[in-house]
Amino acid sequence: MAVIDVENLTKRYQDLTAIDHISFQVEKGEIVGFLGPNGAGKSTTMKILTGFMPASDGVVRIAGYNVFENPIEVKRRIGYLPEVPPVYPDLTVSEYLMFVARLKGLRGKALHSDVERVVNRVGLTSVFERLIRNISKGFQQRVGLAQALLGNPEVLILDEPTVGLDPRQIREVRSLIKDLAGDHTVILSTHILQEVVATCERVIIINRGHIVADSPLKDLVEQHQTQSARAMSLEEIFLSLTEA
Amino acid sequence: MRNILAIAGKEARIYLTTSTSYVVFACFVLSTAYFFQLFVGQFQMSSLQAMQYGGGAMLEQLNLTDQVMYPLFMNVAVVFLFMLPMLTMRLIAEERRTKTLELLMTSPVRPLEIVLGKYLAALLMVALMLALTLFFPLLLQIFGATTMTDGMHALDWNTIATSYLGMFLLGASFVSIGLLTSSVTDSQIVAVMLAFFVLLMFFVMGSSSATQKGMLGDILTYLSIADHLESFVRGVVKSVDVVYYLSVIFVGLFLTYRVIDAQRWR
Repeated sequence: MAVIDVENLTKRYQDLTAIDHISFQVEKGEIVGFLGPNGAGKSTTMKILTGFMPASDGVVRIAGYNVFENPIEVKRRIGYLPEVPPVYPDLTVSEYLMFVARLKGLRGKALHSDVERVVNRVGLTSVFERLIRNISKGFQQRVGLAQALLGNPEVLILDEPTVGLDPRQIREVRSLIKDLAGDHTVILSTHILQEVVATCERVIIINRGHIVADSPLKDLVEQHQTQSARAMSLEEIFLSLTEA
Repeated sequence: MRNILAIAGKEARIYLTTSTSYVVFACFVLSTAYFFQLFVGQFQMSSLQAMQYGGGAMLEQLNLTDQVMYPLFMNVAVVFLFMLPMLTMRLIAEERRTKTLELLMTSPVRPLEIVLGKYLAALLMVALMLALTLFFPLLLQIFGATTMTDGMHALDWNTIATSYLGMFLLGASFVSIGLLTSSVTDSQIVAVMLAFFVLLMFFVMGSSSATQKGMLGDILTYLSIADHLESFVRGVVKSVDVVYYLSVIFVGLFLTYRVIDAQRWR
C-alpha cells in the first residue's frame, strides 16, 4: 500500500482553482520531486497533505489515515518544512527544537537524544545556544529542516528545502535528503531542476494545478528523446511541459 | 495536557525573555504606584481633617482598606484595560504573520490545546502583574499598623484576598478577549485595537445603563465588566460575579478555538 495516496485532490479559492483533480501515489522509501513553476500549486498541495489546509474535493491518505478525518494520526507521521521556516526568532535553537520535540510527543531522555541526533545530522552544533534571530538565513533554513526530522517521522514533506542556502550548504542538504531515502518517504518541492536531478528518483511535474508528468526521472528523459528524436535536457522537457 | 504545558512553556519563555513584557510590567507598576501614593496622600489629608474637626467618630470611619486599597484596586481595572491587550496581541497574530502557526497546526496537537496553552501563559502574566502589586498592601501593613488605633491590622486581609481574586478573574477575562482578537488577524496592531475597543465597550456599558431603563438597562448593567469587580473589592464574593467572569472567559476561549479550528475547514 502506498504511504501517500492522493486522489482527485482539488483546491478552489474564490475564483481560482489552484489544483485541479490531481492524483498520485508515493511508495515507502521513495524520494519524489515535486516540480513546477512558481504558482503551479506545489505549496498548496503540500499544505493540504500536511493537514494545514483542507481540500475542496478529493482524498488524501497518509499511511492509511485520511488527513481530514484523522488529522492527529497523520500529523504524528509527517515531518513538514514549510516554504518559510517556521521558527521563533526570540527562542534559541536549543529552546526551539526542544519545544517542537515536545509538540511531537517526545519527553525526557528520548527528547534530548532526538534533539541531539537532528542537530548533528543537520549541522547546528555551532549555533545551538544562539537566538534564532541572530543566526544566518541558511542556518534558519537548517533549523526548519531539523524541526521536520524530529521524532523520526515516516513521511517528510519539504517545501523548497534549499532556498537561501549557499552552494556548499545546498550540496550538504541534498546529500542529507538522499540519505533519508529508504527509511523515510520524502516529497520535495522545488522549482530548481538540478535539485530534482541531484536528489530524486521520481519526478512529478505540476503546471497550473494539473499533473503534466509523473514518472521516474530517466524514463522521462528517454520518453522525450524518442518523441523529439534527439536528447532533450530536463530543462527543455520542463519548459515544453509547462508551456503556457 | 502535556501539549498544553509545552505551548504554555514556550509562550512563557518568550514573555520572560523579550522586552515587551518588561515594558508592560514597568508601566503597570509605575501607574499603580502613582495611584497608590495619590490615595495614601488623600487618606492622610482626611485623617488629619478628622482629627482636627471630627474627632473619634469620623476617625473610626477611616481605614486603609476602604480609603486606599479600594480605589487603588478599582483603578487597577482601568490600568489592566490598557496593559493586558498589549500582552495578548502577539499570541496568535504573530504566529500567523511569521507562518509559525503552520508549525503548530501541522504538529500532532489539537487546536484546543494550542488555545489553552497560550491562555495559560497569559494567565501566568496576569498573576505575575498582580503579584507585583502585593507590595502596596504590604507597605500599608508594615507602616500603617502603628498609626492605627487598634494597632494590629492596618488592613482587612480578607477583603484584600477577595480583591485579588476579583482582579485575577477580571484580568483572566481581559486576556481571554485579547486572545480572541489576536486570533482573527495577522497584525498585532489590529489585534490590540480590537481588544481595546471590545474591552472599552464592556467598560462603558455600565454607564449607559443609567439612561436605559427597564430590561435593557439591567442587561447592560449585568454585562458591564468592571461593575462585577466592585463587590470583590468590598470583600464579598458573589456567585453572580464569579459566573459572569467565568462566562466571559469561556466565550472568549470558545470563540478563539472556533477561529483556530476553522483553519482546518476553510
